[in-house]
Amino acid sequence: MKRRMWDLLLILTAPPHSGDVVTSALRLSQAVLDRGGSVRIWACGYSTMLTQDTFGDTKLPNTRNPKGHYPSPSAVIQRMIADSDGRFAWIGCTACSEERGAVHHVPQVRQRSPERLALTMAGARQTLYLGGA
Amino acid sequence: MEAPTSHGAGTASYFLIESKGNWAGPNAGTFLMDAVALAEAGHRVRVFLVEDGVLSAAGEGAPELARLAEAKVEVYADDFSVAQRALTATALSPHVVLANMDTVAAALAEDDCRAVWH
Repeated sequence: MKRRMWDLLLILTAPPHSGDVVTSALRLSQAVLDRGGSVRIWACGYSTMLTQDTFGDTKLPNTRNPKGHYPSPSAVIQRMIADSDGRFAWIGCTACSEERGAVHHVPQVRQRSPERLALTMAGARQTLYLGGA
Repeated sequence: MEAPTSHGAGTASYFLIESKGNWAGPNAGTFLMDAVALAEAGHRVRVFLVEDGVLSAAGEGAPELARLAEAKVEVYADDFSVAQRALTATALSPHVVLANMDTVAAALAEDDCRAVWH
């Protein structure tokens, strides 16, 4: 069986709320999608928290703009997957998820053992490691 | 996706993405000097400053930027990161060109592009 090749794999190990790295990962993903390419994100460490179904669709209300709509990270990721026609996918590392009790992913997230990381990299033309544990 | 190719045999094309500020420890400057070394070895090198990395381009820029310019390295600064940090194009080093994530996406689509995110 011929293996599907993805254009880009982003391995996201950086903690999501200590900087702009998730924004950068999603912006880069969208740029690749806009060019007609395909992207997979492998979420490790605390990035596995981003796709928990307990977030719901919105963030907590912003008291300075109570009527504003602020989608949760899981909602943003779900929307990107839905809009991508199969060209965007999100993988949650099972070991990192279980270590953090982050085991309630939204259904669009594929869960993979870290033992499959090398195989996942082999299935991408380009891999970038967005590091920092 | 389009996958253009570039340059001749014996050289490679590197796209180095710096997300760390120049105060974040010696590794940030070292990463930029790696770019200089690669360029001086004859490779095509592009550097993309993103997140706190754009602060290396503020004002006259970090000393490493001048070395990058001497080595003919193309240096880009992410426009979104620049705006988020209240910098303007006129407040950046003359060695730097404003760009966006489409620049990165296009480079990554090149067949022979070797990319590193720091």
